[in-house]
Amino acid sequence: MAKTILAVDDSGSLRQMVAFSLKAAGYDVVQAVDGQDGLNKAKEKTVDLVLTDQNMPIMDGLTLIKNLRELGSYQKVPILMLTTESSDEMKAKGKAAGANGWLVKPFDPKRLIEVVQKVIGS
Amino acid sequence: MDMKTLPTTELRTLLAAVSEHGKQHLVEVEADLLQTTYLLSEAIEKLGASFMAVHEIVSEQQDVIDHLIAAHHFESEETQQLEAFKEKIGVEVNAAVTGLQFQDLTSQLLTRTIKRVTGLKDLLHELGNHSNSIDAEHEHEEIAKFLDEMSRSLHVGSRALSGGLLRSVDQQDMASGDIELF
Repeated sequence: MAKTILAVDDSGSLRQMVAFSLKAAGYDVVQAVDGQDGLNKAKEKTVDLVLTDQNMPIMDGLTLIKNLRELGSYQKVPILMLTTESSDEMKAKGKAAGANGWLVKPFDPKRLIEVVQKVIGS
Repeated sequence: MDMKTLPTTELRTLLAAVSEHGKQHLVEVEADLLQTTYLLSEAIEKLGASFMAVHEIVSEQQDVIDHLIAAHHFESEETQQLEAFKEKIGVEVNAAVTGLQFQDLTSQLLTRTIKRVTGLKDLLHELGNHSNSIDAEHEHEEIAKFLDEMSRSLHVGSRALSGGLLRSVDQQDMASGDIELF
């Protein structure tokens, strides 16, 4: 059975590219338009990995991670940030919130898939 | 020039003109930025749809080629050439996926710029409003009051703008970003 990845980003074009890349590698992808939508979808079904943007309306990526980590079912689920932010300060905040990795946009699909495979397997 | 009184009327006229002239320019800038945002958004939608359609067709074409290779005898050189084409397409598809993320980056920059323009427009509006309240009969007190109000408006406007802005986008090109696992 294919592993499921929750892709959270307020940019439709970015979500489209993430979904395209991950589906081509054999993953199922659930999309969410902001942190709150991501949290709702994560509660509906526990996914194998969360890939989230930081700067989004309604709820940002760091808040989403903190909320997810408070849910019993998401304490061990890998969460990766995919964002334009690249400062050490923000990475430290992400790590403290419970993120397992940091990817700076724009992403290269081949490298994204390599990282995802490394984190959750094929 | 020997002036015993402050040129209140001239000051008021100048401030009103700066406010009005500045606002007119900013309205145009704001409209252009919104139009650019809209055009980029529509462009990425069309590019994304075309990209997906082309990829689907190429995938189907590849299935046919794979079937032909399996069913018929091809020269080794021809098979290798077809494999090389497949690899080249893969490389270009990856590059296109990276490039097609431009709208996410540019829209963040445009949103920041539009918010800054709106903030500046509000400030100029304040400048125009306050300058109208200068009373020539109490000019010293009125101008001091005006300057104080403007300073406060500037401070409040600046703080509100900084608080409402997302962080800037550092990317200077479309090269793919760093990856770090914790």
